Amino acid sequence: MVVDTFDLKRAAIPGSQRRERGLLLLAGAFILINFLALFIQRPAASWLDGLHGLVWLLCAISGHVFLNRTLPGRDPLLFPVTMFLSGWGLVAIDRLAPVFAERQTAWLVVATTALGAVAGLPHLLRWLRSYRYLLLACGLLLLVSTIVLGVNPSGLSSAPQLWLGTGTIFFQPSEVLKIILVAFLASYLAEQFPAFRAEGLEHHRLHLSPRVIGPMLLMWGLSIVVLIWQRDLGTAILFFTVFLLLIYVASGYSLLLVGGACLTVAAGWAAYHAFGVVQLRVDIWINPWPESDGRAYQIVQSLLAFASGGILGQGVGQGSPGYIPVVHSDFIFAAIAEEWGLLGILSIIGCIAVLVGRGLHCALRLQRRSFLALMAVGLSVTLGVQSLLIMMGVLKLLPLTGVTLPFMSYGGSSLLTCFTMIGLLLRLSALED
Amino acid sequence: MTGELVLLILRLISALLLLAMLGALLSILWYDMRRAAVRVDSSRRQYGSLHILQEIEGRLLDTGEEFPLLSITSLGRAPTNTILIEDTFASSEHALITLRGGQWWLEDRHSRNGTTLNDVPVVQPTVITKGDIIGIGSVRLRLNME
Repeated sequence: MVVDTFDLKRAAIPGSQRRERGLLLLAGAFILINFLALFIQRPAASWLDGLHGLVWLLCAISGHVFLNRTLPGRDPLLFPVTMFLSGWGLVAIDRLAPVFAERQTAWLVVATTALGAVAGLPHLLRWLRSYRYLLLACGLLLLVSTIVLGVNPSGLSSAPQLWLGTGTIFFQPSEVLKIILVAFLASYLAEQFPAFRAEGLEHHRLHLSPRVIGPMLLMWGLSIVVLIWQRDLGTAILFFTVFLLLIYVASGYSLLLVGGACLTVAAGWAAYHAFGVVQLRVDIWINPWPESDGRAYQIVQSLLAFASGGILGQGVGQGSPGYIPVVHSDFIFAAIAEEWGLLGILSIIGCIAVLVGRGLHCALRLQRRSFLALMAVGLSVTLGVQSLLIMMGVLKLLPLTGVTLPFMSYGGSSLLTCFTMIGLLLRLSALED
Repeated sequence: MTGELVLLILRLISALLLLAMLGALLSILWYDMRRAAVRVDSSRRQYGSLHILQEIEGRLLDTGEEFPLLSITSLGRAPTNTILIEDTFASSEHALITLRGGQWWLEDRHSRNGTTLNDVPVVQPTVITKGDIIGIGSVRLRLNME
C-alpha cells in the first residue's frame, strides 16, 4: 500500500511538468514568431538582433530544468506565464526602443537567476519571518536614503528622484520595498492573527481597537511620506491598497476597507490641493481633450493607440505607438494594444488574472499556516493591484499613476522584483499544506 | 509585396498562438477545478450510512446498528455481501446500492420476495436520498447522509 501511494505521487509529478513544458513551447513559438516579424522589417538587421530571443529561450529552458530539479511539485502555470509576459515585453521593448532592449535582456538574465535562487533557497521563508524588524529597518533605510540621495537616470532635476546608483547602473528601491513590506506585514499579521480573528468575529461591526488602528495609521503615514517626499503617487497608492487588503484578509473585518477608502479619499483630496503633480493627473483624467496637445498629450495618444489597434492589432512593428512619449516603460500596455489589438490585451489581462488566481489558490491551500497564506495573498495582490493601476491608468479609467506593468515594462528593478515575487510564490505553491 | 504577405501570415500565426495560449490556460484551470470538485465529492461520499431499524408497536425505531456505504454495497443473506441480512425472507443476493454520477442508486437483484423503497416495490434501479427506508424481508434500513 505504501509503495502504491509512492508510485502515484511519482506518476503525478511529470504531468504538471508536461503542462509547464507545453505552455512554455506555446509562449516560445509566439515570441519567436514576433521576433521574426520584427527582424524582417528591419532594413539593417544583423544576426545580433536575434540575440534577445535566444537569451529569452535559454532563460526559459534553464529555469524549467532547474525548477524541475528543485521544486518538482510546484504550480505548473506560474513560471510559463511569467516567461510569456516577460518575453512579450522584451519583443515590445525591442520594437519600441531598441537602445534599451539589450539592458532589458541583461536584466532578464539577472531576474531569472534571482527567481531560481529564491525558489532554490530552502530556508528563505523562515528567514523572512524571523528577521522581520531587521528587514523593515533595511526597507526604511532604503526609503530614507532615496529621499536624501535619490537621482533620476535621465539627469533631469525636475523629474522624480526615485533611483539609487551611479554611472550606468541604477536601482529603484521602492520596488524592493514592496517585497519587504509584504514579508513584514505577513509576519506581523500572522503573529497577531488569533487576536485579530477574535476581534473580527466578536465585534464585527463597530469596534476598532488600537491593535487594528495603530498599524493602519502607521502604514497610511508611510504612504504619505512616499507621496510627499518622492512625488511617487503610484507606489503610495499601491502600498496602502496592498496593506488594506492584507489586513482585511487577516481579520475578515469589512469596516477596515471602508475606513481605508475614506483615508485614501481624504489623502487624495489633500494631495490634489497641495501638489501640482496630483492635480495634473486628476485634471487630465477628468477631461484630457482641452489640453490634448499639451499636458494631456501622453494619455490622449495612448487612447488613440487603443483605438487604432482594433481587434487583431496592426501587427508588430506596423503600428505607430511611437507618438506616445516614453512608451516603453509605463505605457507599454498602449503599444501592445495598438500592435496586438484587443486579443493581445485580453491575453495580458488573462495571464495576470491567472497569476493572481493561482497565488490566491495557493493561499487557500495553505490557510492553516497563516504566515505562508498571508505571504501568498500579499505577493499576488501586489502584482494584481499594480497591474490594475497601470492598465486602468493607461485606459483612462483611473488617474494615471506611474507604476510599471509587471514583467512587461522596461525597467530592471521592476523585472527583478516581479521575478523574485514569482520565485517566492513558486516556493509557496510547492509546499505541502 | 511578398514581404507584406509574409508579415500578414506571421501576424495571423501570432494571433492564433495567443488564442492557443489562452485556450491552454483555460483548459488547465478547468481541469484543475473539475479535479478539485471530484475530490470534494469523494470526501463527502464516505459519510453515507445505512441504519438498521426495528418495528416495535407499529413504530420504526433505530437499533443503533449502522453500516457505512461503499460505492458498491451489496445486501443479502450470503456471507459474501457487504451488509449481511439475516432474515428468512431475504435472498442470498438480494439488492445492490451503487454510487453513480454522485447519486446513490438502489436496485433489486431479482430476489424472491422483492425489495421495497418506502414500502413501494423496487422494479428498476431507483435514486435514493437521505431518510429513505429500504425494506428487505422484514428488515428495514434507513439511508443517512451527513
